[in-house]
Amino acid sequence: MGLLRYTLWRVGQTIPVIVGIVTITFLLSNAIPGDPVRIMLGPTPSAELVEQIQAKYGLDQPLHVRYWNYISGVAQGDLGYSIHYDRPVTEVIAQRLPVTLILMVSAFAFAIATAVPLGMISAKRRNKPTDHLSRVFALVGVSTPSFWIGLVLIILLSYQLNLFPSSGMILPWADPTDVRGATNQLGVVLLSAYHLVLPTIALGTLQMAAITRIERSSMVESLHAEYVKLARAYGVSERTILRKHAFRVAQLPVITIIGLQLSSILGGAVLIETVFNINGMGRLIIQAVQANDYQLVMGTTIVFGLSFLVGVIITDISYAYIDPRVSYGER
Amino acid sequence: MTDDANNRYDVSRRTLMKGAGAAGLGSMAGCTDLGLGGDEGTTTLYFAQEKGPLEFDPIVLNDVPSAQISERIFQGLFTYSEGTEIVPELAAGEPEVERDGTRYIVEIKEDAEFQNGDPVTAEDAAYSLTAPVQEETENAAEVDMIDSAEAIDEKTVQFDLGFPYAAFDTTLLFNIVPKSVREEDKTAFNEEEPVGSGPFQFVEYTQEESATIEAWDDYWGEESPEVDEVVWTGIPDGTTRLTSLQNGENDIIETVPPDLYSELENSDEAEIMSSPSIGYYYLAFNCNEGPATDQRVREAVDYCFSMDEAVSNHIEPAGVRQYSPIPAAVAEQWEFPTDEWANVPHEKDIDAAMSLFEEAGVDSDYEWRIIVPPDDLREQLGVSVSNGLQEAGYDASVQRLDWGAFSDQYISGNEDDYNIYALGWSGSPDPEAFTYYLFDQEVEGVTNGTFWQNDEINGENGLIRQARETPDREQRREMYIEAINTTLEERPHLPGYALANSYGVRNYVEGFQSHPDSATIPIAQEYTTVSIGER
Repeated sequence: MGLLRYTLWRVGQTIPVIVGIVTITFLLSNAIPGDPVRIMLGPTPSAELVEQIQAKYGLDQPLHVRYWNYISGVAQGDLGYSIHYDRPVTEVIAQRLPVTLILMVSAFAFAIATAVPLGMISAKRRNKPTDHLSRVFALVGVSTPSFWIGLVLIILLSYQLNLFPSSGMILPWADPTDVRGATNQLGVVLLSAYHLVLPTIALGTLQMAAITRIERSSMVESLHAEYVKLARAYGVSERTILRKHAFRVAQLPVITIIGLQLSSILGGAVLIETVFNINGMGRLIIQAVQANDYQLVMGTTIVFGLSFLVGVIITDISYAYIDPRVSYGER
Repeated sequence: MTDDANNRYDVSRRTLMKGAGAAGLGSMAGCTDLGLGGDEGTTTLYFAQEKGPLEFDPIVLNDVPSAQISERIFQGLFTYSEGTEIVPELAAGEPEVERDGTRYIVEIKEDAEFQNGDPVTAEDAAYSLTAPVQEETENAAEVDMIDSAEAIDEKTVQFDLGFPYAAFDTTLLFNIVPKSVREEDKTAFNEEEPVGSGPFQFVEYTQEESATIEAWDDYWGEESPEVDEVVWTGIPDGTTRLTSLQNGENDIIETVPPDLYSELENSDEAEIMSSPSIGYYYLAFNCNEGPATDQRVREAVDYCFSMDEAVSNHIEPAGVRQYSPIPAAVAEQWEFPTDEWANVPHEKDIDAAMSLFEEAGVDSDYEWRIIVPPDDLREQLGVSVSNGLQEAGYDASVQRLDWGAFSDQYISGNEDDYNIYALGWSGSPDPEAFTYYLFDQEVEGVTNGTFWQNDEINGENGLIRQARETPDREQRREMYIEAINTTLEERPHLPGYALANSYGVRNYVEGFQSHPDSATIPIAQEYTTVSIGER
């Protein structure tokens, strides 16, 4: 089986998982106590009005009918209608998703860009002060909740030193005329990066610490592998060994951990978006639950679930590129 | 005041340079046009709300953040004074009341016009107050006492009510929209180009995030704004909101979290402005099933704890003690005997409580169930009562429920669901808003979860219903006093507190004052106009 077929096979495998996610989400959302129509209409709606609104959103149908309507809608890309926002769920999500994606990409980029060199240096200088420092740093990093880091950053760098904004997010492709303080696109990008600094650090620190630990141990193992010893015997320079021989193979566990970190970063985004007042998917899911907006709760959960699945598939497929020993031909 | 003083760009740029340097981007600063600038000479007021706005059309909007902005763009026939008195806004004078309080005739000011240049007409007013029912929007209940509304002439509108509704002057606060503009495209009117008659015009917004409004240069009224624009940002987290005030990102923030009061009180750069809101928080009994059906038991629970102490320990300074269902601002205006009402609750006396429990025959192994919504302050009230009940020898649990579960349970009247619940209510500045919806038998299981029955007070011909339908204010006042006297004595509720509408305001903001109505943010009113001094 070639890589393309394997990819298709892996994607095909996710279909029952997606159906499972949709089904469980649907059932759980319907188990949430409280009537969304009552929350929407306030304390004294007439019975006729309640009935009419329920009919409008299909809430008067039996559970199995609603489930079938919903799942066939999802199959066609229709995630339903948000009562709270009075617009299609896909429209609401489309507005919020890019914000969270930027935050996640930024946090991952920060984590990888700092953790990989840190882990390599640590492995190279094993059991020396730099290594000890890096390990303590990594241990503290994985044990500290992201929202706490966020609050500390806000207090220190925004509140005390007034260096960074404490809240908000600007999309880098926003129109300069819509962004206060920007006269051209570069200004927008700069302001966007400026607003991203603190949330990125807050969200990416845990990932950075986790990746640093794996990178270090994986590199240590790799530097002591037989083929590395052989390369040394052939007189290959340490620099080449580190960069060409040891590094590539050592990245396999790192990629695994990055893939697994996707779920924790999504969870972290919910808190970080709240702390930094960023209107992304994380905040959206909280608002949806608070408003008893069933369709929106389901829509956001499905998107979160899908994001995780996509991350897992990308991780799996990346293996083949990184490590030639991994082959899918025999499956 | 100079232009520079109000130029947020300078502040942003300065902060950006510091931040860029700290982030290692400093080298970029000198070598290229960073594309940062703009807004020179614009006086902007930055206001942080607890949540961002959802929509702007007064016919459909039903949340406080949206109303706070929308009410700067739209106006009602009447509005609030500096307090809770209702005074003409678009109306030329007081309404004429005819047909035993079932007909209200209002004349509209000659020069009142909308931001598109059209005059505000009687037809617009009639349309605005009937559209919520016609279109069955969330605001239908606010105006559904209107049977019909018609324009007698260009500037005179007549409302005929289905029953004499004495609090109709509060209904006349409803904002007026231009019928022709709204009818053309309701969605656009709600989200893209709302057109009102107020001193501010809509510019842009991002749903639940932020909004910008600007001063309308050709405003027909006298209270022209002194700021060029207002930028509203929703920041739900209290700490982040306060930080945005302290570091100058915002000039005013609404609702200072109680645990951060001292932080602001000690600040040299900002102060707190607050006033009790038109709201009421309370503990209520399930008088339908269980021991609390007995008046002696309710009194015994009152003896189990001190509400004064609970409010002083857990609510102040975010709120103030309230001794009746009528908020202080309303009680003051109606000259209610609040001093007498303050004497009704008992001080803590566990012995007195135990003897009343014994007299009423409540089993010593009875387990009390107290339910509270997801709110720390109300949970504290629940805990105070449960502690007292435990001192009196009972088991008592406090269940903190999500809003969905809570709103299902507190109106069930079922003993298994609750014996006591903690809740709040905010309404218009008329006693009717607090007596009818919280105690009347007609709304049992809807907004009244007590199921307390006293036909003379809350029955079909009870005082609460009579006062609701009596046009004469003095007669109403007497009815309310009598009704509240009995209600306090029989204790279906133990009144608790009113939260304050509190704002953190930077020192350079001049003329801002808090208002009892949480949707009223006075920026350009007859009684005060906000300006910005040197930042």
